[in-house]
Amino acid sequence: MNKLSNSIIKLKWPIVIVVTLLTAFLGYQIKDLKIDSDIISSLPDDDPAALLYKNIGKEFGGNDMGMIIIETDDVFQEDVIGYVKQITDTLRITEGVSTVTSLTNVLDIKGSDWGIEIGTLLDEYDLPDSRDELISLKERVFSKDMYKGTLVSEDGTSTLIMFTLLDGVDKQVVARNIKSKISELDIPEKLYFGGLPFMMNDIADLIISDIVRLIPITFFLIALILFLAFKTTRGVVLPMLTAALSVIWVLGTMVLFGFELSMISNITPIILLAVGSAYTIHVLNRINATIDTDRKQALIKAMAYITIPVILAALTTMIGFVSFVFGAYLEIIRDFGVFTALGVIYALLLSIFFVPAIISALSMYRNAKKVKRENKKKHTFLNDTILFPLNNLLHKHPKHTLSVWGLIMLLSIGGIFLIEREVNMAEYFKKGNPTRVTEDIMQEKFGGSQPVFVVFEGDIQSPYVLKMMIKTENYMKEFSAIDRTQSIADLVEEMNDVMEEGKRIPDEKNKIENLWFLLDGQDIMPQLVSDDLDRAIIQSKFASTDSKVLNDFVVYMDDFVEKNSTEECKIEVTGMPSVYSQLDKSLINSQMSSLIIAIIMVLLIVGLMMRSLIKGVFAAIPIIATISILFGFMGITGIPLDIATVLVASVALGIGIDYSIHIITHFNHVYKETGDLDKAMEETIMVSGKAIVINVLSVAAGFLVLVFSEMVPLQNFGLLVAMSMIGSGLGALTLLPVILILYYRRIEKSNFNTHK
Amino acid sequence: MKNLKLIIVSILLLMGGMLNVNAQDANDILKKMDDVMYSPKDMTGKTKIVLIDKNDKEKTREANIIQKGNDKRIFRFTKPASQAGIAFLSLPDDVMYLYMPAFGKERRISSSVKSQNFAGTDFSYDDMESKLYSEKYTPKLLESEGDVYVLELTPLSQKSSYSKLIVKIHKTNYYPTLMEYYDRGNKKIKIAVYNFIKVGSYWNAEEIFMTDLKKNHKTKMIMSDVKYDQGLSDDEFTVRKLKQ
Repeated sequence: MNKLSNSIIKLKWPIVIVVTLLTAFLGYQIKDLKIDSDIISSLPDDDPAALLYKNIGKEFGGNDMGMIIIETDDVFQEDVIGYVKQITDTLRITEGVSTVTSLTNVLDIKGSDWGIEIGTLLDEYDLPDSRDELISLKERVFSKDMYKGTLVSEDGTSTLIMFTLLDGVDKQVVARNIKSKISELDIPEKLYFGGLPFMMNDIADLIISDIVRLIPITFFLIALILFLAFKTTRGVVLPMLTAALSVIWVLGTMVLFGFELSMISNITPIILLAVGSAYTIHVLNRINATIDTDRKQALIKAMAYITIPVILAALTTMIGFVSFVFGAYLEIIRDFGVFTALGVIYALLLSIFFVPAIISALSMYRNAKKVKRENKKKHTFLNDTILFPLNNLLHKHPKHTLSVWGLIMLLSIGGIFLIEREVNMAEYFKKGNPTRVTEDIMQEKFGGSQPVFVVFEGDIQSPYVLKMMIKTENYMKEFSAIDRTQSIADLVEEMNDVMEEGKRIPDEKNKIENLWFLLDGQDIMPQLVSDDLDRAIIQSKFASTDSKVLNDFVVYMDDFVEKNSTEECKIEVTGMPSVYSQLDKSLINSQMSSLIIAIIMVLLIVGLMMRSLIKGVFAAIPIIATISILFGFMGITGIPLDIATVLVASVALGIGIDYSIHIITHFNHVYKETGDLDKAMEETIMVSGKAIVINVLSVAAGFLVLVFSEMVPLQNFGLLVAMSMIGSGLGALTLLPVILILYYRRIEKSNFNTHK
Repeated sequence: MKNLKLIIVSILLLMGGMLNVNAQDANDILKKMDDVMYSPKDMTGKTKIVLIDKNDKEKTREANIIQKGNDKRIFRFTKPASQAGIAFLSLPDDVMYLYMPAFGKERRISSSVKSQNFAGTDFSYDDMESKLYSEKYTPKLLESEGDVYVLELTPLSQKSSYSKLIVKIHKTNYYPTLMEYYDRGNKKIKIAVYNFIKVGSYWNAEEIFMTDLKKNHKTKMIMSDVKYDQGLSDDEFTVRKLKQ
């Protein structure tokens, strides 16, 4: 270790130059950093339902569907119809928009005495303006499933204008364009924008707003805590510098490897600021505490001592993040785990190479006398009010302390059974967020916004397949959360009806082919049936976001598919219920697997380092207790397990274990030297305890900033990690010492007895 | 001061005169194009419709056409087999009948929306209508380049889905070589390229190649076996004939 420290100091200038160049290079890359707000694309390809959902969305244009809702007191008024037309016309000529469907241009097939009228529901150049015309329009709309509840809400107060986007356009740019063009129309009714293009736009805005607002706050807060702790410029600048550099490096690396910032990885900078500064704090702390007349020698000595513990601390933290790679359902979570772990490596490397190099390069040594004076100073606020009383408590009432922890754990374990899960994306937005409001309106007025698709593969023009589609639709509508369905089979039935042969699928294929002739080329066709007529879909919407109902529906449909899917007509079901149901299952799996991986890895590493498995277990007890309390807290307060809070336990484990490691190593060291249990514990609490308190405060403060995030899961994530930090800090300062005291008292007692 | 007014007035008059001349010319050119396109008394022929999607995948349909004047026409599909026998009769005043052989029935159909595409092609009902261009549009001569005149046509009807058409017309033979369609947002959305050949004494649009720029979908309409002026009677264009 001395050798390494020596070479670092020898190579100080090259190290500083390399770091500067790398920072300049990676920092420059950040200009190309893009934001990925496309949740659909993050769905995993190895889940068949998710893959099918993505492909269906691409093939039939459903994923790029956007909608604008007009809310008023009565849709069937001359001016409201006029607004629908204005919006429809504006959308039609907006770059990137493929098709638009609204009251003023929707396909309408009318049968009459003299023939068929194929056209639109309204003549867009002669809109209804008299009372009679509007009343008959209302009757027509409410008589057809194609319009009722789809284009106009059943209470007649809202109407939808739907549009699809062209292939390969930038959805966000188009969505932004549409919003600004529509707002220029100055429509005096309430408008809502919904669907993936707008939602993505919203998410991207939230991500940017989070980054712009939260990073400076975090930066300032941590700097403040560092200043209060160290009271030197160096103590503030160096930790913040390494944390900031690691953030820049990670973001630059993301760009280099073609990754984008997601609604999860946008918290990576904040986490790195909170966690990454810790390693430099330890390094500085050790350098400060090392007394040597030769300042250079002091630095070398300090580095030789601290390098291994810091590497261990970083390693355990990394494990916490890497543990997501194996159990995560969403790619964005996997990427988040990988890149945050990488950031931890960067912060570690910077702490052990760059920090000593820059200290010696810039001669930022501290005055040895001052160091001595400071180390002697015993009476501080922290010492007098917290650490001394704590030490007394531990020695006098170890059993009581243990019982208090036991009681809290018991309560928490009860709470664990109350934990809820949340997979519905709309719940991720704060109340009042435009996306959330639109979702609520869709839910209330249009039977939800979560698409359900049933895909049929076979000869779509065959009576068998079309009849199966009708059968499926009827079966679906029997489920409470499905209101209405739409498919090519419905259109064929309607056409057959106007040919005066009844509203049903004809038994002869050639009749179907004849009817098809009129449907060919209609805007709606590509959304319902493939070009080669070998695939078709039933489109529907799901009205519930309740996990149980979602799961029930998946089972309900699986049952149908199993009974009815044949070679001739292959049936598959996908859509948000299927995806959410998978996501829901994966939350538990992901939580279990990442936690188990993290616990095993941490036990192994700590056990190896201590060369004692029992001490590894001791070190893990406070953090495992904290995690139980965390889950209990989630259960009792109703904070659900979701794509972000599922990360908390492993992150807390990876960071929180460090506190236990510090206590155990320090205690071991002194106890071996002196053989005095009380003295060893006192020194451990007074020295390492102090470092832990500072560390917990700065990390918890960093994470607490996330409470101001625009996204609910991130708010909860920040709160829960901060809480876990305090919990594991407390655990390391109370629970662990008590266990150690009781354990060694027993050993001493049995030793005493055997000696007698 | 008086002089200045006089000068302005004379300039305005002059410009007005020029515009007038221009309008005359443009109208003239468009009428001549109409003459070339719609002068045969009747016509029979075969058409092959090739639909090309964005992946360059092709689908082919074939139909026999008989037409009398500008406003009577029967389109009878022969290929593919699934559509064979489907026939389409257009009569004056937007009266259309569709015959479906599988049902053995004809139905009068009305397409209130002229912007809808005809049977999966990139031609809208509006484009297929053989109404004289000079009756549907106000022309303006934009320029005269090489062997074509470039005309801008503005629809007379408020109901047109186009804001304008840019048409290139051959200077000596007066058939169109190119038409560009602009939507109401003044964006070019379709292009039709014409290829005319002389059949007997008439110019025939042997091939029309229509590209929908938005959907990146193309339609090729190829005429063959064209015969003109065979003295078709009005009786050929009845519902009874449609069903045969």
